[in-house]
Amino acid sequence: MSVLYALYSEPDEVQKAVDSLRKAGVPEKEIVVISSEPIEEYEFSHRDKATWLYWIAGGGGALGLAFGTWLTRMTELAWPLQTGGMPIVSWWPNLIVMFELTMLGGILATVVTLFITAKIPTRENALYDVAVSDGKILVGVESPTEGLRAGIQNALGAGRVVSR
Amino acid sequence: MKEATAKRITDDLLRPLLHTSWRFFLLVAVLGGIVLMGGIAWMYQIWNGFGESGKRWPVFWGFYITNFVFWIGISHAGTLISAILRLVNAGWRRPVTRCAEVITAFALMIGAMFPIIHLGRPWLFFWLVPYPNQRLIWPNFRSPLVWDFFAISTYLTGSVLFLLLPMIPDFALVRDKTTGFRRKFYGALALGWQGTTKQWHRLESAMQIMAIAIIPVAVSVHTIVSFDFSMAPVPGWHSTIFGPYFVAGAIFSGIAALIIAMAALRKFLHLEDYLHPVHFENLGKLLLMMSLLWAYFVFAERLTTWYGNGTSEMNVFWATQDGGYSPLYWLMVVCNFVIPFPILSLRKLRTVTGCVIASCSVVVGMWLERFLIIVPTLSHKYLTYSWGSYRPGPPEIMIMISTFAAMGLLYTIFSKLVPIISIWELKVGEHPFPIETAAQVKEHAILRTNP
Amino acid sequence: MPHRWGMTVDLDRCTGCGACVTACHAENNIAVVGDVQAAKSRAMHWIRVERYWEGDFPDVRLKFRPVMCQQCDAAPCEPVCPTYASHHTDEGLNAQVYNRCIGTRYCANACPYNVRFFDFYNPKWPRPLHLQLNPDVSVREVGVMEKCTFCVQRISAAEIDAKAEKRELKDGEIEPACVQSCSAKALVFGDLNDPESEVSRLSRSTRGAKLLEELGTLPKVTYLARQTQV
Repeated sequence: MSVLYALYSEPDEVQKAVDSLRKAGVPEKEIVVISSEPIEEYEFSHRDKATWLYWIAGGGGALGLAFGTWLTRMTELAWPLQTGGMPIVSWWPNLIVMFELTMLGGILATVVTLFITAKIPTRENALYDVAVSDGKILVGVESPTEGLRAGIQNALGAGRVVSR
Repeated sequence: MKEATAKRITDDLLRPLLHTSWRFFLLVAVLGGIVLMGGIAWMYQIWNGFGESGKRWPVFWGFYITNFVFWIGISHAGTLISAILRLVNAGWRRPVTRCAEVITAFALMIGAMFPIIHLGRPWLFFWLVPYPNQRLIWPNFRSPLVWDFFAISTYLTGSVLFLLLPMIPDFALVRDKTTGFRRKFYGALALGWQGTTKQWHRLESAMQIMAIAIIPVAVSVHTIVSFDFSMAPVPGWHSTIFGPYFVAGAIFSGIAALIIAMAALRKFLHLEDYLHPVHFENLGKLLLMMSLLWAYFVFAERLTTWYGNGTSEMNVFWATQDGGYSPLYWLMVVCNFVIPFPILSLRKLRTVTGCVIASCSVVVGMWLERFLIIVPTLSHKYLTYSWGSYRPGPPEIMIMISTFAAMGLLYTIFSKLVPIISIWELKVGEHPFPIETAAQVKEHAILRTNP
Repeated sequence: MPHRWGMTVDLDRCTGCGACVTACHAENNIAVVGDVQAAKSRAMHWIRVERYWEGDFPDVRLKFRPVMCQQCDAAPCEPVCPTYASHHTDEGLNAQVYNRCIGTRYCANACPYNVRFFDFYNPKWPRPLHLQLNPDVSVREVGVMEKCTFCVQRISAAEIDAKAEKRELKDGEIEPACVQSCSAKALVFGDLNDPESEVSRLSRSTRGAKLLEELGTLPKVTYLARQTQV
């Protein structure tokens, strides 16, 4: 897999590079910006805000609730034993277990979604440079289409482009 | 942010991971030895019979359940506080969150051991787990102990993930900064983290959701621990105030533990530039508020009992006020209120040392509170003929000591393997360095007056 | 209609002799823990005779109250057990399944009467007492809870006999060990669902009261005593 990227020190330069890549005709999804910390103040970092993650968490919670309801009711009815004069399916105590499983469902759904959408764990990343950990910001394109190579190199600043 | 500052943060926080002195090994050996002795004490108790503990009719719960409630209470420092501070976006949280969340994870693991240690037949503890089986035998969901199982496992899962997720970018940093086996080790832990804008957004959204979810879970955990007592129709336990009372007490002891841990980290890992007096001051104010809240709950609980004047309730009441348990009771009041209140309310005394003294006192006081909730009630139930007493046995004392050592051991090893302050979060925030530039002096002053 | 086993204890008859305690130990293979452990309050008397002094010296009266598991209908010990070791049977008994017990001891804490006991050690009997163990009752190992069963082994045996002989159980046919050994006939056992049984008749007596009745545990043991107007 071939990659083209450049390293910058200032977010302003990154914003310019991203804008130039867009002008060069690189599709939005293929422009990758890598930094050692989240950068909130610039447009380039707002390209993919995930708002539906909250809905997935809610969905996981609903699944957890359904599982909790089923688990408590099913097990109590599977072998009905009287205790303390309480009903066989006692909703007050069951609500506690149902609540905990709801929250567990929400938490697990969030983490699983994070792992899938952030594409971790993964073995190797072609598009990376250890200099990122020194505070540099990487802008690059993974497997660029042949026709766009020159444009990308120009957009990133011909002198600093790394090609692998 | 200046690259020089970033480099300084990275170097300072990676130093404990890369350089190890003989003192670390000595500390690990000593703490490990104490933990091992605790393990031996437990085996001794299992081998010889549960009678080696001090439990007796009718006081069937003692030190083990005291420690269970105590450690679960300590666990309420980290994740809960970190989640609240994240949600309100308090800037000063950044150096505090990780060392707080670690307390939660380890205190929960230690606390969750106690219900197993205290079992008459601990080798059958898995009967609490609802696992499918051929004979359709399931746990009894009407039992508060099963609620405990669900609450603690949810809370443990949630807080371990809450701790681990923001560690991934830091592992990636360590991977890039090291060589050899460390690079392989942290590379595996970093799960191939790149740091694309998409990944950062997903991570931050996920942390936001986790923070929202973990707060009600934390509240439910200590409420359910209090249900272990308040569900039993026994004088002194059967009280509706127990849920919030326990939650307040848990946060109280948790903050105290956090202050002690932060002071230790600051001293031993030389993090004076990161954990400032202002952090201790802010947490000290929080501790002061919880001390007042604790006093309010105790007063409400005592007054209701005294005014209601029920025969059996009053037996428990007087046993703690001027009976055999009164020395412990009044020591608890001194430790939880009389000592911390003046220290934390006077600005001059609310220093790092002052906060640590107040916190040590609170930890002792809150341990006593848990003991005083459990034992006086069990030894003074309704029928006066069946009153009894309790003295801990040697294994109970040894196991209790060993859990404190276990906390120290786990914390020491963790801070050796993982940057104890979240590096990337620190870089994001405008981190106040001690007097360097005029701008930073000003920033520091703002933080101090308006945290 | 299923049986509903209950008991009455006539406090005016009880002499506090302790024969019931001894008989219970013998019948139910209750471990004798020895003097050291007994001094640590670890003796396991499924039935105990509580002794109370009333009045001020020299005008004092000695009162005895045998207390055993009250077999509550709304037993606080049952729902708190995480493994169903403690549960209610169809005949209204508080069953304790020793094999299912993991020893949380929660039931004992929830019990307002303190009639549940814990095996702190594996039981041992000094020779030749090991030869007198009752083969109908299981011996409990270390770490489990145990308590009065109303001699469920005797109840089952009588029910099986009656079924084999295709007849109804007679009132008074079943006697738990404590009832059998009570020389003052202070203890009466029987079926509360049979309105004609002696235990039903005595339970309805105006002399009757339940122990800690105000807790709402619905005990099936009734204590009979002369009611005095204060």
